[in-house]
Amino acid sequence: MKANECMRVLAKHRGDAVVVCALGMAANEWWAVTKSEDSFYMHGAMGFAASFALGLALSIPDTPVWVLNSDGSLCMNTGCLLTEAGQQPRNLKHFVVDNQCYQTVETMPMVNQDGADYAVMARGAGIQQATTIDNLAELDRRMPEIVAAPGPYFIRLRIEAEPDYQRAPPATYEGPEMKYRFGRAMEKKLGIKVFGPRGF
Amino acid sequence: MDVNDKIHAQLVKAGVRLAASLPDDWVNGLINKVEQDNTIRHVRVGREAETICICAGAFFGGVRSVAIFGNTGLLTCTGEMATLCLRHAIPVFCIVSGRGSIDDHKVYQEVQGRRTIPLLQAYDYPYKIIDKEEEIEDIPNAYEWHRLQKRPFVLFLTKKLLGTNA
Repeated sequence: MKANECMRVLAKHRGDAVVVCALGMAANEWWAVTKSEDSFYMHGAMGFAASFALGLALSIPDTPVWVLNSDGSLCMNTGCLLTEAGQQPRNLKHFVVDNQCYQTVETMPMVNQDGADYAVMARGAGIQQATTIDNLAELDRRMPEIVAAPGPYFIRLRIEAEPDYQRAPPATYEGPEMKYRFGRAMEKKLGIKVFGPRGF
Repeated sequence: MDVNDKIHAQLVKAGVRLAASLPDDWVNGLINKVEQDNTIRHVRVGREAETICICAGAFFGGVRSVAIFGNTGLLTCTGEMATLCLRHAIPVFCIVSGRGSIDDHKVYQEVQGRRTIPLLQAYDYPYKIIDKEEEIEDIPNAYEWHRLQKRPFVLFLTKKLLGTNA
């Protein structure tokens, strides 16, 4: 399956989930499909979208949180699986878009390309529910069960590398504007206070 | 009430409800206090940069948080502090052992003692060194101030304050 098609299926099943996207392809494709402002599009800290999502999930335990991670980001911080397993967040689903290359830097090969099974690694770290899905029909069929199941749940999405891929452009806002748009979206969606009365 | 009880009490007063930590022998006493407090969700991590990003995520859930780790770890996570927190103007409150000070004679802390402050200054990360027990009461003020600063803030705890032999 291709990244864009995969994101369309995920978006169809999203429901009320708040989404955190790893920087690069995962963030760009999710933005291209959803244009959603109750999603945080990481522009840095490669490897740590999962950590950001964990902190968010633990803070809003009644709201589903998804992290759309990428294989390159996971490889940069595989320890996030241990931390996630240690907390067992019931509202967190951890998707990894796995195309075995660094898509946004000229599809250079992933470390140990095709030699690692991230779902097995997640299970080994202590995330009992961990699976690999490699086609759209199965993804569409299994998403209701994945959405309904208590987390943590790790889903490796095996997608095609797209060497001739026209890069999806990133979200049209960034930096502090990303902070305030996402924070205000959280306040509106969840009825919480992210910012104080004077805006900080 | 020992010094870690006092620091913990001021964190509670500041509204902290989540802590992410990685051990260093100077701050282990505080980590244990946090672990024993059922009102604070404690997240143990395997790498200090995780604490920064967990706290950044908690910010958007409306939860006040603290990252606790050693000075060596601070050096390892300045990149994430810059590219996530400076990039998006996200405040993160860090409590860090002030290792490498003149009374810390561990060879593996020597570089940290000399280069940490200049590094923080280079990034323009604000910091405060707490050396006396009466300064612990400044923590709630420091917490409010760091939110206004909209970037990582480092509160260093000294060996003199902690009274550690490590």
